[in-house]
Amino acid sequence: LGSRENRAASVEALYSGKKRRCAMSLIPWKSKQANGGVEVAPLAVIRDEMNRLFDNVLREPLGNLERMWGELGAWTPAVDVNEAESEITVRAELPGVAAEDLRVSIQNETLVLAGEKKEESTKQENGFVRSERRFGSFRREIGLPVEIDPEKVQAEFHGGVLTVKLRKTKAAKPHRIAVKTV
Amino acid sequence: MNTTSVEKTPTAKSDAPETTRTGAYYQPAVDIVERAEELLVSADMPGVKPDAISIRFEDGELSIHGPVEPRQAPDNVYLLREYGVGDYQRTFRVSERIDATRIAAEYAGGVLTLHLPKVETAKPRKIPVKLG
Repeated sequence: LGSRENRAASVEALYSGKKRRCAMSLIPWKSKQANGGVEVAPLAVIRDEMNRLFDNVLREPLGNLERMWGELGAWTPAVDVNEAESEITVRAELPGVAAEDLRVSIQNETLVLAGEKKEESTKQENGFVRSERRFGSFRREIGLPVEIDPEKVQAEFHGGVLTVKLRKTKAAKPHRIAVKTV
Repeated sequence: MNTTSVEKTPTAKSDAPETTRTGAYYQPAVDIVERAEELLVSADMPGVKPDAISIRFEDGELSIHGPVEPRQAPDNVYLLREYGVGDYQRTFRVSERIDATRIAAEYAGGVLTLHLPKVETAKPRKIPVKLG
C-alpha cells in the first residue's frame, strides 16, 4: 500500500512538473519577424497559450494518470462470501497468482487477502496483439460478520480459485432456544 | 474504463453459437503475443477443470471452451457476491497461417496458455543452372 502512495506522489510530481513547464512557456518570446512582421496582440498570445494549457491539463495528465493506474495494475480480485450455519466461506478468483505470492491473514475480525499477480516474462515482449489481463499487487479486506476461530481457518488455492473457510466460534453459532408454553 | 475490479464479461449471445445448456457464459481476459514463429495466447480462466477444456481450431477460427464446476450453491446465503460462475467461452479469428497439428496448450494456476505455431513459409531457394 505504501508503494501505491509513492506512485501517487510521483504522479503528483509529474503533474506539477508538467504544469511548471507549461507555465514557463506561457508567454513565449517571439520576435515580430518570426510572425512575418505582423504584430500580434499580446493578449491574443496569452489567450491562445491559455487555451493550449487548458487543453493539455485536460487531456494529458488524465491520460497519464489512467496509464499509470493501468501500469500499477489497480487490480481488485472479485470475491464472494457466503454464510452457513457453522462457517463462513470466502472465495476469490486469482488466476495467474502464484501461491507463494499470496498472503491470507486475519486481523481484528477482518480477513485480509493480499498478494501480487506477477507479470509474466512475455509481458516484456513486443508484438502484443491483445492485452486484456491485469497484473500487479492487490489487497482486499473483508469484514467478518461474526466471531470466528482464528485457529481453525483453512485456506486452499486451486486452479486460480482461493477458498477460505472460517469456522464460527461457539458463541457466534445460532443457538436454538426452546420456547416453553405455560 | 473500470480499473478497480476484474470484470468477467458475459459472452455476447450474438457472436457465440447457442448452447444447449442454460446458464451464463463468460469471456476470459486474454493476452496475445505474436512472435516470429508462433502466436502465444494466455487466458485467465480460474476454476476450470483442466481435462474438460476444449480447444478447437477450424477454418482459421480458434475457439476455447472451459467448463466450470458450479461452486456457488443456489441455497447459500451470500453476504457478498462480486462475480458470476459459469463456463468460459471465446472464439477468435486468426489471420495468420497456423499449423493446427502442432498447437500446444497448458493450464496452470487458472491460466490457459496456448501456443499456435505458424506454418513454415516456403523459404527462398536458389536453383542452380546446369550447363548443357
